[in-house]
Amino acid sequence: MSAVPTTPRRHHHESTTPAATPQTTRVASSHIVQASPHYQTTRRHSLYGTEDRVILDPGSRIWKVGFSGEGKPRDVFLAESDTARSLWTLNRASNPADREEEDRVLEAKLQACLRSVFHNSLLTDPKSRKVILVEHPLLPLHIKEIMARVLFNNLQVPSISFASSHLLALLAAGRITGLVLDCGHLETTVLPVFSFRPLYPHLRTTPLAGARLSSHIKALLLMFGTYIPPATSLSAAANIPAASRSVRVPQDVLTDKVIDEIKTRCCFVGEPFDTDPSGARASSPSGGGGGDNSSELDLPPSDPALSESDFSRVSAEIESSFSSAHAASSSYSVVSHSQLAGMDASHGHGHAGESRVQALATMYGRHSTATDIHLRVDPPPAQQTGTGRGTLIIPGWVRERAAEVLFDGGDVDESSVAEVILDCLLKAPVDLRRTLASTILVVGGTPMLPGFIPRLQAELVRAVTRIAAHAAPPPPSRSGRPRPATYDRYAALRPLLPYFAILNNPLPRPPASTHAAANAGKAPAFTPATMAWVGGSLAGALKTGGQEVNREKWDEAEAQPGEADMAVDDAPPRAAPAKNILPDWTRTPLPVGAPPAPRPPPVTGAVEAAAPPALHAQSVAG
Amino acid sequence: MAPSIEYYCPCLAESPHPPPPHLPSSSYSFHPLHNLFFCEECDAVRCNRCVLVEVSGYYCPNCLFEVPSASVRAEKNRCARNCFMCPNCRNTLTVVPSDPPDDGDSRTSPIVANTLGEAPFFLYCNHCRWDSAEVGIIFEKPTGLAAQLQKFEDSAPESLEFERLKEHFEPFLRASSSSALPSAAAAHHVHTNPITAAASSALARDIPGVGKYNPLARSRVGRDKHAHRHELPDYKARVEIAGAAALSGEADVEFLRHLETASEVAALEQRWTNSWVTSLRESDLKPLRIPLQSKKSKRCPSCRHILIKPEQKAQSVRFKIKLVAANYLPAIAVTLPHAQAALEMMKRSSNLGKSTSAAAAAEEQQAAGSLIAGHSYSFHLAFTNPLYDPIQIRLAKAVPAQAEGSDAEKTRRNTFHVQLPSTAFPVAAFAEAWEYDDDEEEMFGLDDDGMEIVDTRGKKSKDGRGKTRSVGIVERRANVTVVSGEVLIPKEARGDVKFNMLVSYTYRSDDPEPTEETEMGTPSRTHLTTKAPEMKNFSFYTVVDLGTIMYREEPKVIADL
Repeated sequence: MSAVPTTPRRHHHESTTPAATPQTTRVASSHIVQASPHYQTTRRHSLYGTEDRVILDPGSRIWKVGFSGEGKPRDVFLAESDTARSLWTLNRASNPADREEEDRVLEAKLQACLRSVFHNSLLTDPKSRKVILVEHPLLPLHIKEIMARVLFNNLQVPSISFASSHLLALLAAGRITGLVLDCGHLETTVLPVFSFRPLYPHLRTTPLAGARLSSHIKALLLMFGTYIPPATSLSAAANIPAASRSVRVPQDVLTDKVIDEIKTRCCFVGEPFDTDPSGARASSPSGGGGGDNSSELDLPPSDPALSESDFSRVSAEIESSFSSAHAASSSYSVVSHSQLAGMDASHGHGHAGESRVQALATMYGRHSTATDIHLRVDPPPAQQTGTGRGTLIIPGWVRERAAEVLFDGGDVDESSVAEVILDCLLKAPVDLRRTLASTILVVGGTPMLPGFIPRLQAELVRAVTRIAAHAAPPPPSRSGRPRPATYDRYAALRPLLPYFAILNNPLPRPPASTHAAANAGKAPAFTPATMAWVGGSLAGALKTGGQEVNREKWDEAEAQPGEADMAVDDAPPRAAPAKNILPDWTRTPLPVGAPPAPRPPPVTGAVEAAAPPALHAQSVAG
Repeated sequence: MAPSIEYYCPCLAESPHPPPPHLPSSSYSFHPLHNLFFCEECDAVRCNRCVLVEVSGYYCPNCLFEVPSASVRAEKNRCARNCFMCPNCRNTLTVVPSDPPDDGDSRTSPIVANTLGEAPFFLYCNHCRWDSAEVGIIFEKPTGLAAQLQKFEDSAPESLEFERLKEHFEPFLRASSSSALPSAAAAHHVHTNPITAAASSALARDIPGVGKYNPLARSRVGRDKHAHRHELPDYKARVEIAGAAALSGEADVEFLRHLETASEVAALEQRWTNSWVTSLRESDLKPLRIPLQSKKSKRCPSCRHILIKPEQKAQSVRFKIKLVAANYLPAIAVTLPHAQAALEMMKRSSNLGKSTSAAAAAEEQQAAGSLIAGHSYSFHLAFTNPLYDPIQIRLAKAVPAQAEGSDAEKTRRNTFHVQLPSTAFPVAAFAEAWEYDDDEEEMFGLDDDGMEIVDTRGKKSKDGRGKTRSVGIVERRANVTVVSGEVLIPKEARGDVKFNMLVSYTYRSDDPEPTEETEMGTPSRTHLTTKAPEMKNFSFYTVVDLGTIMYREEPKVIADL
């Protein structure tokens, strides 16, 4: 009977992998493995060569994981599979105690995710796997630190490379120069990349992304959807017509999962509304759409106060994401909320908003040929008395037009998906604009909506051309934001018009220039959502990848917290070493060997610290 | 909700003291006893969040075939035999021969029409009636299906395109090994001349976009562009996305526009691993090969000793080594006697034939077992000793060691007062005969002991109904000791009655009786006793959750019902 906890075989194994640094032995063994591809050994840690890296693409909601050198991820999963929420949001708690608690919860969740990646998805030993972490350029540093801490301390990976998701996506398209738009869950980010180098100072971002689309769908369905609860008895189901049972959609029906299902299975992006005779959408790309429409229909603008107060009922999440839109009062989301508020409050004030949105709805409905969808949904927990599941009727135009919220810009802080590209082009060096404009790559989960990319192309062209027509005085409803009517934001980009081309456009228009012809629709047919991962896999196979951090370096830095404490101003001491070690483009130290820059200690802003002295101060400012 | 107790594993925190239980993050540090391991070397509790996990074998959960590691990689962690999953319902697919009278009309495949036998086989889902002939997957022979499908997988467009991309970039990267990449590429290519490496790293430092601001660089950017053109020719995709548009692009929009039911479109989960643009339709989904699972052995994170190790065979559910905390720490069960009494009352009344609906009964139960603000309740903690030696247990309510900033909040939450027995109390040693043992030792004297247990249980329930409010030992039987504590909930208290409890126990082996114990004990237990002949002390933290405080109003409403 093997009474001792370690069998002799185990002892033997122990001796081959010393506790402290097992890396050297492993490297040696894996070389042998590489030499003979058809090896028959069953030593477990020689399953993959050390050159095979683990590629992690951790999103706020969806993670993609797999091995380098493979064409598709091994596993894709929701980070919080039970709630389908996102792990982090754009906000952090302001109270330090709350924030610390938030970080602790996040660390526990990230740890669970990362452990499950290695142990359940990939079934591999983390101690022998180098990791390439596909990082979004705006991934908060504290989250990066937590991930690194879990990977190094808990899972003991030998090294982590951080690679920019935008650059990797471009690699997957076979390019090294281009303008990459990543439309994810929390935000949409545009980053130009020139010859392998992400031009971080020109990065532009907008919160119009998947999360906003979800909350918009929810708002639209609360207004225009119909819910047929399950019949109370089987005989009633046969006798009472469904129409007489139909009610407005209860909030509880529209869970995050249902919204997700609607978004991924029912929604698509329709053509732009150019053909509309009323010209409601055609009037102005920079947010004049809603305004023009309301003035034309002679409707009062929505009452922000009312909607603010009543809308809080819906859910804190939507409220927070929309509160800024209220101020602008120019997007459909605002309209829908005021309407929603009117419905909920059911008093006089709601009426104006309702009729206004109704006008929008009829306009969209008139021009949409999309079919209504009957979706079986679970009844809300409070009303689970009937037989079976309820039915949610989603109007066809909602399916087609829900994504309008992403293309509906005009707000300074929340530019539309097309505008954010143009803004980025405006920031980019003049010499690069033409190249960048003709090599736009669209990646991320939200562009998986059918029709998204062709629509984006159309919106780009329209935004640049239409501003000439925008010479008309701004509509009265937008008096709150004074702006000279003649202001032509994208005039500088108008010469680029024939060059706009989206690399992964499945439906390229007949190209206007040879430049565009050489690029539009020429990317390989990878899905936008997985492009960053595929690029990471490619980088791993090519043995490149981003800046690499070894475990030795990490352990070293963690062992001397005293020094790190001095360098860090406001971070908690345990997070300190990471600050010095993890690559971060906002405060990249100069590489060794560079002339020491005469600079005060890094108490200045993060962006300024990134730019070496004179020359690049402009790039930050411009 | 029934009261519960969980054990603390200090792996996540820096301090040995557990976090205050009202923080949501604290729930990640506490685990049920049956999930915990115990490292004998470190004398510490280990949980699934901190142990090092190693794969000790791969197997297919469907056919239980142990897959040799060599083929695990080639098959991408999938079963390489006949195991497939239904793409719609994830049920296991079965291989069925085609049946000409049934299939002749519906299937357009010419093979079906020609052959009368069972020649084309296809996969069939017994749950949702999906079959693989719908997507054109048929097999000539009913075995080695994965191998037959392998050729399709090898020629998958994404892997071909991937190889092409690799070929495209490889010469370019080799040419400009470190200069083109600002990254750690330099570290990889140590073979480069140190001078060129230094030069290239100096180049790499040059911040992108510099051309705009440097009048001299303007021309340089142009040159650069051409220069890299020369180096890296434009990539010609094998399948361009515009070319694949017939498959997706406009067709998808039109398909969605005329969609009748949402289930025609494949769910996100069914297509999100596809990196290649594929059809949205659910009817085009391909059967999935069943992912392998692994048998894992776990090691202590600090001393690397094995904590648990399964037997190699996939069919076996036994473990070679198993150091689980349940064999070392006393198991604690929390009960609220008043809730139990109420439950029993309820049962009796329903047995008498009261026609109360199930929902109402459940509500009543909840109400009866609830903690109402302004009352004090006693709770019972039953300690079960897994050791072969008697132990002395001492309880203490954990005082939060670190004074956090939110003092006001804490005082508001910690309004309830808990009284625990202050003196140490004994729990008798575990003896094989008293309890069913999972190691399947001979159960001598089973009948008699069974009777005894019934007796003691009967006594215990009487005690419970008696509502002894005293704090102290309530009952001792076999290797179980029940102690009573008291919680006083003031009127203004809110939230959960949840507190950290420090349990420290002393175990000694005065009379080890080594011969007998090696005979009947499990290896781990024997090990412990032989290792610890003198007195030893071990303490651990737990969190006790007695339930949520209810307000006075609610029970009244329910009582009216």
